[in-house]
Amino acid sequence: MKPRHFLAFSLILLMPVMAYAGAAQKPIIDGYMAAAKAENAAFSGFSADRGKAFFLAKHDASPETPSCTTCHTADPTKAGQTRAGKDVAPMAVSKTPDRFTDAEKVEKWFTRNCQSVIGRACTAQEKGDFITFMASL
Amino acid sequence: MESNSSQMTPATVPVWDIGVRIFHWALLAAVFVAAMTGFFGSPDSLQIHLIAGISISLLVLFRLIWGFSGSTYARFRTFLFSPVKVRERIQEMRAGRHTRYIGHNPLGAWMIFALLASLIFIVCTGTVVLGGVFKQGPLAFITSFATGRFVQEIHQILAFGLVGLIGLHLAGVAYETVFGKEKLISAMISGNKPAGSNVPAPRFAPARPIVALIAFIALGMAGTTGVASFASRPGLGVPTAAIDPLYAKECGACHFAYHPSMGTAALWDGVLSHLDQHFGEDASLPDATRAQLAAYLKENSSEHWDTRIAHVLATANPKEPLRFTATRFWTRMHREIPDQVFASKAVGFKGACNACHSDAKTGLFAPQNIEIPEGARL
Repeated sequence: MKPRHFLAFSLILLMPVMAYAGAAQKPIIDGYMAAAKAENAAFSGFSADRGKAFFLAKHDASPETPSCTTCHTADPTKAGQTRAGKDVAPMAVSKTPDRFTDAEKVEKWFTRNCQSVIGRACTAQEKGDFITFMASL
Repeated sequence: MESNSSQMTPATVPVWDIGVRIFHWALLAAVFVAAMTGFFGSPDSLQIHLIAGISISLLVLFRLIWGFSGSTYARFRTFLFSPVKVRERIQEMRAGRHTRYIGHNPLGAWMIFALLASLIFIVCTGTVVLGGVFKQGPLAFITSFATGRFVQEIHQILAFGLVGLIGLHLAGVAYETVFGKEKLISAMISGNKPAGSNVPAPRFAPARPIVALIAFIALGMAGTTGVASFASRPGLGVPTAAIDPLYAKECGACHFAYHPSMGTAALWDGVLSHLDQHFGEDASLPDATRAQLAAYLKENSSEHWDTRIAHVLATANPKEPLRFTATRFWTRMHREIPDQVFASKAVGFKGACNACHSDAKTGLFAPQNIEIPEGARL
């Protein structure tokens, strides 16, 4: 098989998988989309860039956990570590395909970590931006 | 034979056979190791202490057999003296007289029996401690932690008593060397002493090494089989069930899932009622999940178990009642571990028990199962 053909063949073979990677997160994103519209009439869709800025931002609600990156590291494609020494699988959907597929789990961790890091609950837009960023990596 | 071949040297007689001599010096080594690990060891010295203790019990077993099958002066019958003889010996010493015995003199003989008895008691009490406190060995299935701790005191008192006996034994050797002009230490190396004594010689007996070996193997195997069979029984009050999967998933997501036997019911209640302020983080859970975990933890809290960890961690630090690593026991046991070890990537923080205790998830925390991971070593 010629290299060019091999590339094409691989791409065709991988297409369903690539499509699936985004699709698995769609129900949850859709849920937050509806909530964001309800929260803010001017809402015009999620943004991976806003999600990235949110992920990297520093807060002063807690000296132990000033940012998402405290545990997740600044590179979401890398594994993180909790303050208590446990590994955290990469947040990037490309590295951990089952990220953001279990609505209950997603809500549990947003509830906890928004409270710990920012000191308040996150808005639906912040959550959607965050997931959109992680799904874009 | 004495290497000194001077004409003036009186003829020598063999006194301590090879069995007695090897026993003596091997016992010295084993008791030295047991004493060093027992008095000055770290929490993880138990294994070496046990090996020394097992060696001592095998050596004593051999000596008991050899007391009936060794050569003349090794046999117990040649140094069984009545208390009257002991009193006479002491009176002699006071008067500055000296009766020369080829084997043990009456006072020395009583010391030998005192040392052997003391060692037997120390080995026995040590086995009770091993069973009750550590839930290991032949008595683990029947010995409570409280019994183990009580007998540990006796084990320690006996050990101090043994140190005292050894001191007296050395004083006796020094006295005989200085006042009796006896070269006792070289006699215990060469086995020979100068001939000549005003005490009638005991009836000659040849060493019977084959008989001794058969007896040693038979008794040793019977003992080992018995010990192994009792040791294989489950320890008294030791948890055996695996960690609840929900608990392992929810609590183990962020930190080592501490065995439920590590906390009192009050501690678990305190943890679960403040999950939103969980050691500086929000770890809140849906009510249904929390209720399920509460039931599991209550049923398996330290009050239900008899392991060492269940007892020692139960005394909380009033300043930080929910933190295991704030307890006095934890602090004492880890005082030799530098902070860098806990901060290293391989460990993470003080509460990562399983980083070094490979059996932490069973709640057993055996001293033999401690190993600081390579990346955390200094």
